[in-house]
Amino acid sequence: MSPGPTTALLAAVATAAFLTDRIWALAVMAVILLVICLRAPVQRRWLYIGGALFSALGVIVISPLTWSSGGGTLLWEGPTLPVIGPVDLSTDEIQIAIVNGLRLAVVGLAFSVYTLLVDHDRLVSAAGFARRSALAVALATRLVPALERDAAGLAESVRGRGVELHGARGYATLLSPLVAGSLERATGLAEAMEARGFGRSGATRAPRSAWTWVDHVALVAAVLLVGVAALWL
Amino acid sequence: MAVEVLATVDGLSFGYPGGVAAVRDVSLELYAGEVVALLGPSGSGKSTLLRALAGLVPHFHGGRFSGRVEIAGLDTRSHGPAELAGTVASVFQDPEDQVVMTRVENEVAFGLENLGVAPELIWPRVEAALADVGASQLWARRTVELSGGELQRVCLASALALEPQLLLLDEPTSQLDAGGAEGFLAAVEQAHCAVVLCEQRVDRALAIADRVIMMEEGRIVLDAPVAEARVWLSARRPRYAGGLIAHDPDRRTQAGAPLVRLDDVHFSYGDGPDVLGGISLVVHRGEIVALEGQNGSGKTTLARIAAGLLQPTSGTVTREGRATYLSQDPGRYLVRETAIEEVALGVAGDEVRAAAALESFGLSFATCRHPRDLSSGERERLGIAAVSVPEPDLLVLDEPTRGIDPDRKAALAAWLLEQADAGRGVLVATHDPLLPAHRRVGLDAPVEVPVAA
Repeated sequence: MSPGPTTALLAAVATAAFLTDRIWALAVMAVILLVICLRAPVQRRWLYIGGALFSALGVIVISPLTWSSGGGTLLWEGPTLPVIGPVDLSTDEIQIAIVNGLRLAVVGLAFSVYTLLVDHDRLVSAAGFARRSALAVALATRLVPALERDAAGLAESVRGRGVELHGARGYATLLSPLVAGSLERATGLAEAMEARGFGRSGATRAPRSAWTWVDHVALVAAVLLVGVAALWL
Repeated sequence: MAVEVLATVDGLSFGYPGGVAAVRDVSLELYAGEVVALLGPSGSGKSTLLRALAGLVPHFHGGRFSGRVEIAGLDTRSHGPAELAGTVASVFQDPEDQVVMTRVENEVAFGLENLGVAPELIWPRVEAALADVGASQLWARRTVELSGGELQRVCLASALALEPQLLLLDEPTSQLDAGGAEGFLAAVEQAHCAVVLCEQRVDRALAIADRVIMMEEGRIVLDAPVAEARVWLSARRPRYAGGLIAHDPDRRTQAGAPLVRLDDVHFSYGDGPDVLGGISLVVHRGEIVALEGQNGSGKTTLARIAAGLLQPTSGTVTREGRATYLSQDPGRYLVRETAIEEVALGVAGDEVRAAAALESFGLSFATCRHPRDLSSGERERLGIAAVSVPEPDLLVLDEPTRGIDPDRKAALAAWLLEQADAGRGVLVATHDPLLPAHRRVGLDAPVEVPVAA
């Protein structure tokens, strides 16, 4: 499938996740996206899948405790904490947390599919007048694995001196050099792009294969999915 | 036959914003079709001169610019790098920082699209450029899956596809093994354009050059045909004339106590093939062991295992005492806000020891400066100071000579010998046959490992 319709379909799934509050519909979307993610290379996929699923799990487990819906059956009543207020757990809060967690999982997994499996080059090429914006998005997406690599290099640099990083606070000390390093990388890339004529007027496009019937079906399906989610789900 | 002047540099001086002059009153002419080797120590202004020839100085970097640079009749003061692209093409040192697209063929096509080449000509030119650098088989591969050597060839193909009149190469072989570098430079030799090759492996550059320019402290100190330049270098800069950095010391007759012993070590990344298949190795006190082999032969992996940063998939590793590890490109992985904090990190914040280490590496002036404000050479020295200050029993260094000039390489060689004489074990993964070692261990059967690994 061409990257344009694929991206439209993924965006439609993410939009539909915000339009529906039916748990079964969200669960179906999450499972389908998870299965698609598993087609990505093993080494690359787990960071994305793990990030999406653990974030969703965090929302499901923690969020019911941080607010009170005032409805449903009260299952447990805890102490009143500063800032947070009374801590309790009700059936309403659990249901809403599951919906929000699944939404987050769907959006995270849709992003994972986009990052891991979509051909960003063809997407940039198909972007026409919005090529610069599409290229910026593609480069930002590629920044994720570069950051991952740099973070590993920084951690190794510290461990290589016999110093162990302990807990979130230890790893947090790497944030500043990580940001500084990514800015250096971005500057280098911008320089290389300018040296290769990026931004010059009169750019052309290398010929690409035309859309197939599958691409047209995917585009229609994307529109239908949003409509169905808005009207019936 | 009249020789066509392709580029003219006339009285060029340039200083980066907030910095001293990087290039001072440089004048030269470049001729069509010639290959020029641009030599000089780190910080001598070579990269700045290349950037001026590409129009990146001053358009991209800003700074104080005086003089005139003209390429094929285009004055770089009024024509920016994007306008010069196509007439000039550049390949920078680190291929990872110049790749834009995710697939090889699109990466090579990127510049052609920017230049407005007719669509029907783009794929044939991409195909021809990849064939010219011997990388046709990489078509349709993802750029993140390529090794450093493969990626550098793709960068060269991207430059050659533009059919430039002037090709600028800034230390393009620093990450390649000997075979990879030879292949790369053979492809450069076939390019039908003028080439300026900035290179720290001087012998490689001289082998293909017609002319040599040497810079020191921002000025040209030598501009001569290659034969004449060899004589000049032999007399005045012998290290640049292919002179040995240091002779290998004699193999230790009485080895010290073993510091690390690897027995039948295997390793693979994830589900990938074995990068190491049954390696056994011992490093003793007081000896330097050089790990040699092609890109992808597992040198870095073995060095990480020896330093305790990776666990082998199978086999045993026995270690005595403290080991420290210096990664490739250490200047990229500095983690503190000042140089003294960076060095003190390995000695629990002991700034007295850190200050002494900074002084011994000639970095006292940088004590309170941010590591990223230092030059690349200074960053590398800071990295070495940071791993040596804990006075480890075993020093593991990964490609420590990458991109460093012959003088600094000689200083590094002397320092390694001092460390061995002080009773430390040193394990060095290197492509550089000129680094001194008591033993050299060859790793063969390279396995393709992507840059990302």
